[in-house]
Amino acid sequence: MQQRRELDQVYTNRKLLNGQLDTPKWWLPTVSILGVVVLIGVVVIAIMVNKGLGLTGLARPVYWGLFITTFVFWVGISHAGIMISAILRLTQAEWRRPVTRAAELLTVFSLLTALVFPLIHAGRPWRIAYWIMPYDVARGIYPNIRSPLIMDPVAISTYLTGSTLFLYIALIPDLGNLRDRTTGWKNAMYTVLALGWRGNPRQWKMQTVGGILLSALMLPIFVSVHSIVSWDFAVASAVEGWHSTIFAPYFVIGAVHSGVSAVVTMMALMRWLWKWDDFIRPEHFDALARLLIVVATGWLAFTFVELTFALYGQDAPEIALREMQMFQWPWNALFIVFFLTGYAIPVPMWLFKRVRTNIALMFWTSILVNVGMWLERFLIIVPGLARRTPFVYTWEAYRPSPVEWTIFIWSFAWVTFLMLLFSKFFPLVPLFEQKESQVFTDDVMIGRAKVPAIVREAD
Amino acid sequence: MASQAVAHEAEHHAPPPNVDADIVARELIATTSGASGRFKAWTWALGILSVAGIVALILKFIDQGDDSTKWGYVAAMVSFLLSVAGGAPMVAMAPVMAKANWVRPITRIASLFSFAGVATLIMLIPLVAILPPLVTEGARRRTVWYMAPDYSPHFWTTLSLVLLLVTGIMLFYSAALPDFASMRDHSSGWRQRLGKRLARGWVGTDSQWRTLRMRIGMFGTFYFLILVFVNFLFSTDFGQSMVPGWRDAIFPMYHTVSGFQAGVAGVVIALYFSRKYMKLEKYIHLDAFWSLGRLLFALTLLWIYFFYSSFIVFWYGRSENDIATLDLQIKGPMIYAFFAGMILLWFVPWWILIWNKVRRGTAAMVVGSFIILIGLLLDRIRTFVPAWSVPGDQIHEKWLKVIPETVWPDIFDILIMAGGISLVAFIVMMMTRVIPVLSVWQVQEFNLLAKPIRYIRGHATLVAKPD
Amino acid sequence: MTTAEFGTHKWGMVVDIDKCIGCNACVIACQAENNIPINTQDRVERARSISWIRVERYWEGDFPDAKARFIPIMCQHCENAPCEPVCPVYATYHNSEGMNVQVYNRCVGTRYCANGCPYIVRFFNYWEPVWPESLRNHLNPDVTVRSRGIMEKCSFCVHRIRRESRSARSAGTEIADGAVQTACSSACPTSALNFGNFNDPNSKVSKMKEDKRHYTLLDQFGTDPNVIYLAKIDADKKVGAGEAATHG
Repeated sequence: MQQRRELDQVYTNRKLLNGQLDTPKWWLPTVSILGVVVLIGVVVIAIMVNKGLGLTGLARPVYWGLFITTFVFWVGISHAGIMISAILRLTQAEWRRPVTRAAELLTVFSLLTALVFPLIHAGRPWRIAYWIMPYDVARGIYPNIRSPLIMDPVAISTYLTGSTLFLYIALIPDLGNLRDRTTGWKNAMYTVLALGWRGNPRQWKMQTVGGILLSALMLPIFVSVHSIVSWDFAVASAVEGWHSTIFAPYFVIGAVHSGVSAVVTMMALMRWLWKWDDFIRPEHFDALARLLIVVATGWLAFTFVELTFALYGQDAPEIALREMQMFQWPWNALFIVFFLTGYAIPVPMWLFKRVRTNIALMFWTSILVNVGMWLERFLIIVPGLARRTPFVYTWEAYRPSPVEWTIFIWSFAWVTFLMLLFSKFFPLVPLFEQKESQVFTDDVMIGRAKVPAIVREAD
Repeated sequence: MASQAVAHEAEHHAPPPNVDADIVARELIATTSGASGRFKAWTWALGILSVAGIVALILKFIDQGDDSTKWGYVAAMVSFLLSVAGGAPMVAMAPVMAKANWVRPITRIASLFSFAGVATLIMLIPLVAILPPLVTEGARRRTVWYMAPDYSPHFWTTLSLVLLLVTGIMLFYSAALPDFASMRDHSSGWRQRLGKRLARGWVGTDSQWRTLRMRIGMFGTFYFLILVFVNFLFSTDFGQSMVPGWRDAIFPMYHTVSGFQAGVAGVVIALYFSRKYMKLEKYIHLDAFWSLGRLLFALTLLWIYFFYSSFIVFWYGRSENDIATLDLQIKGPMIYAFFAGMILLWFVPWWILIWNKVRRGTAAMVVGSFIILIGLLLDRIRTFVPAWSVPGDQIHEKWLKVIPETVWPDIFDILIMAGGISLVAFIVMMMTRVIPVLSVWQVQEFNLLAKPIRYIRGHATLVAKPD
Repeated sequence: MTTAEFGTHKWGMVVDIDKCIGCNACVIACQAENNIPINTQDRVERARSISWIRVERYWEGDFPDAKARFIPIMCQHCENAPCEPVCPVYATYHNSEGMNVQVYNRCVGTRYCANGCPYIVRFFNYWEPVWPESLRNHLNPDVTVRSRGIMEKCSFCVHRIRRESRSARSAGTEIADGAVQTACSSACPTSALNFGNFNDPNSKVSKMKEDKRHYTLLDQFGTDPNVIYLAKIDADKKVGAGEAATHG
């Protein structure tokens, strides 16, 4: 379905810049509350770093628990950005236009949040600076690049750098716009950030080419980041349920599923909070939901293949682990919830156009998906570690502590807080993309039918 | 003002041929007759090679039908043909579902590869007879058919391959209906009679078009699902299951993705030859090669990704299973096939396809595609030949304790490989005599939907996007 | 310190299950020797106790024929260790004497090595170690006291090896067989634990290794450990706790 609107530039400017030019009433109270939660979280983190990881629920043999699950979860959410803005930009899909900046933002902020977790989950976080930078050249010992835990920060920081650049390049025309509408210190800030944007053909060409080049460069990174995160687990032959070759694409497609759902959540919130009904229309949710159906079904196929090959080996320990993961308390309850929320409830609902174009339903189903996907990561990481090893001495369960839950909640508050702060200074929907879509679209008569059309470059 | 006159290659869009619908129909249908002498010579040569291949297959079965270790090359061939002939129609279907316009000239030729699935089926039949049942010497080997009857792999793989063939043909037929009607209206002789028979009263009403699109969507989706299923079954039952201890969850996906890569390469080759020798430059724009080039590049990257994913896990794991698997596929002479596969399927295509100039041309694209096909054949040999070389009395062990000797191809294998490839080419070439190699209605529709316009001071195309 | 200075040593252990009576003297000796934090009740209940060597006990059969099987398990110092390639800071690596060493001051505590170990012999310090006043003077000055956030495991009493090699070097001799004893092997009353140099064909452990009863734990993981176990043979020829711990 396509819903074309005639929106003139004055209206576009006024509506999409209402976050920057005047602040919505709800903004300050929300940011304050989130700020308090963020502060509490930071204090708890500081206490934990000060006192020790004994404050968590970790124990032998579950050495990785909530923190690593949440880390993988946030890295997964970050995959929405590239999926939507890069891939849809390269395939020239029109419906991407309102979504791109919010998706890229989500990528940047979720990556920043994700990077916190490997720092705080380590026993001596203050030492980790030694192996991120600068390298310990004095003793002639560099970090061990054979370890997936070193490949991780390399990949994630590359992704973060690329995404930030991407976000910035797409932001420049709008920064020019804001520079021209503000005065005082804001004007000074936008002037510096806009890098002298004038909107002449040469600058537009550079901006477009830059965006396309970055899109193409980011695509391999997008695939590799979550693959490398998955190899944290896949390379360990000692842990049943982890040592599978399919982890890399399985995690990537799960990340796309989780990330695009997060974008849907964000789009619904943006439409409601800033009253952008003209710009974020049901057609966008329809398109996103259809993409999600394909991705989710692909994810389901990968899950099925992973399970098939886990059992294929006819390895007693592996089979015992799967039985525990699916049929024993408390894992069985988590498994059922994961499957229902991750696939079985949302996807059949999305098959109906009524649901796809109902924004409230899309909002709630997308949240369900992310609940399910967080549980999926949990069910991959923790039961494998909590398995009944050959040695009875090491059979234990894992109970996350309140400290871990607090930090988990903190991460959500932190991402939302950052997004809201960003929205105060920069528009969440790209203005120039909206205006471009107005200019590049037209209607065409074919016979007696009026068909929407797009203008494309000829040779 | 938004991006005016941005002349970036990635955003160009080929203008439609802008020719009258009748002329389009007549010109394209004319391509089915009037084959040149060269065409006839090639068809004869390929036909003879195909027959030789089939004869060699029969002779091999009579001679070596009891020894499964000698059938690795035939298994590799089936996998290769499945990848090329099975993957090619996906090029026809997937972009159509995404409503892309560049794919319009390509759909028919990609769809014709479905008929070449007959070659895959012919090669599969002796393999099904020779594949050991799931329980040998009282022990059950590792398989995805956990508790199922002993002949499940045989049954289900054959069934799914037949289904693939049937679905591919149905997909072709659903999309070709309007063209059969064109043939009924514009050609003569046996073609006119065939067109009348197969067109089944097509006149082009609204409801007929709606049904057509629905059928294409339905058969296309089914085709994709069955293709994934066949790849899964064949790579597991006829590959992984034959080696004790080889547990590779990504192998079916790897097999499928390299199948897509090979299918696109096959389509590029077919497209190049059709365009050049049937003088279809007006209809097949370089835009098609550009887009196929991007797709091929993406699939090349995806190939190395899947390839690397499996190897890093085995190399890191270093358990008995992992080491045995690596030894089987990389030690000995197979190491050449291993490196050749990697170089020809990834390294060389990467460096060829990464250049814009290459993707906008045709010759380099074809060379790249041939390289990919050779690389795929070597890669399939690397995976299937060692798998089948494990003797029947060892395939139910826990892990591979003795690496079997490398099996080299004999004269039958070479004839079979040549014959299989020839048969695919032969079938596709013969089908172009029956139906136009370009989809007439797609070109006509494109004429309706796209109009060249002047945009400010430049040239652009206005492309209608109906829902 | 190169291989040449230490000669061609390959330190390893042979554990004779037949002789182990499950007295746990090795556990206590190791605890005392290596400044291991006190395992309070809370820590044991929360599975955070640290014992570099542990004696696992399995019951076989029912009363009145019940038999107890004991197997002491410590770091196996695998040649093909799964814990080594995954450490981001090279805090654990395989040294030239066949030992898997843990470098405490490099460890940042990511616990990745612990995930990889199939024997679960690696331990993490969740808290800063606290010793009651009375035990302050019992700390072994040769062994680092680990702070919180650091992984630790059996080190084959490397400080004792170093001490012996220093003495041997200054005396101009080689390390005699049996001169280096780990804390556990010197405490064991039945000589179930034997430590020595596998590279010396005349050493006690090299000769014990040739025993027909020898096996290694969890060999399906391909770790190639340097700890060899000798299976228990019952009086009525049933094979004991060793089998329970091997792969199945």
